Amino acid sequence: MTPHVFTTMGTAASLTFGEHEPHASVLVEVERIFAEYDKRFSLYRPFSELSRIASAELAMMDASEELRDAYALALSWRESTRNAFNPHRPDGVIDLSGVVKALAMQAAADVLRRADLSNFCLNVGGDIVAGGESAEGLPWSVGIVDPFDRSGLLTSISLAPGREGCATSGSAERGDHIWRTAESSGEFVQATVVADDIVTADVLATAIISGGPGILDLVTARWPVDVMTVDLAGAIRMTPGMSAAMLADLR
Amino acid sequence: MRTRAVLGSVFGSIAVLIIGWQAGAAALTSNQSALSTGLSTSGTTTGSSTTGSSASGTPSPAATPSSGSTTASPKSSTTSKSYTGQSVNTQFGSVQVRISVTGGKLTDVTPLHLTDFGGRSVQISNYAVPILRKEVLSAQSSHVNSVGGATYTSEAYLSSLQSALDTAGITS
Repeated sequence: MTPHVFTTMGTAASLTFGEHEPHASVLVEVERIFAEYDKRFSLYRPFSELSRIASAELAMMDASEELRDAYALALSWRESTRNAFNPHRPDGVIDLSGVVKALAMQAAADVLRRADLSNFCLNVGGDIVAGGESAEGLPWSVGIVDPFDRSGLLTSISLAPGREGCATSGSAERGDHIWRTAESSGEFVQATVVADDIVTADVLATAIISGGPGILDLVTARWPVDVMTVDLAGAIRMTPGMSAAMLADLR
Repeated sequence: MRTRAVLGSVFGSIAVLIIGWQAGAAALTSNQSALSTGLSTSGTTTGSSTTGSSASGTPSPAATPSSGSTTASPKSSTTSKSYTGQSVNTQFGSVQVRISVTGGKLTDVTPLHLTDFGGRSVQISNYAVPILRKEVLSAQSSHVNSVGGATYTSEAYLSSLQSALDTAGITS
């Protein structure tokens, strides 16, 4: 099955289907969703709505509902992760890139389902939202990059039914939406989170990198997610669910 | 399948990398808290196991689980080995994990115990516990649909594994 590859949000996206090829209009719609989010939220675009808020040209109370909703979502994640996930840059600028890509991925997945395409795997810059199964009739298999050698894989995992989101954050991540909290020892160089939805996975992966071991424990205790971390010495930790996902992928 | 070929070569190179990594890690870990590298090996008969020799002492030299097994390739047989990791502290208490390896493949990961700071055993639920890197590497599938990793730029995508995978998909 030919993957559909396109660039958006400064990275590349690849969409694979586990069944018949979709109608071209569906692919156009998926790309349009990403373009729309990027246009509104990108801080690399000087005239995006969020850039206008950053420059104080626009007040938050006058912003669009979409922007205020995304900001409210980011603030609620900040609250529940004890500030490990934080949309406020140290310079005071509101940066919503920590939720926006995942929100766009979620919206794209919704479009696919509405078009009766329930078997898909969408990878945007290394984060994945997947539904159903692959063309071989198997769960989607995801390789996790080795942070010390990005041309190699650390391991691979199977995404179980219902486990639709898989996000990986790294300390050398592109952009600047991860700021370490004071109590973070900076111990983790990579964190992968598998969750039922991509927004939860993406936010919590970011929070673990930002917050360190204390937040890792908070995350695994509070949310029903599977986690794999790699620390500075290369040591790996996994939750039981992540070990099971790895073992399930042996084939 | 082109996919298999591309990834096969990637995986082939990993076996080599493990050795280099372990050599580097021994030096690094002496300053790190003892995480998964401090493991002890048990005998080679099915089902046998030992517990990690005291989580206290020096974490460094005994780090790699012994000599011969530097490559991740499966050995001939069905013999099973168990490795027990040192205990690691979480904010809720200490936790330890045991892994089983059969025929060179990871076959099971068992959280051993979790004790709270009062020393009582508590129910294991969802803690991230150390796992030996070499066994993680040997456990990987030979065939993945997608590659997860920290965000790459559109330029870096061209040299990424995901790009290789997408290209393989297009030409197959």
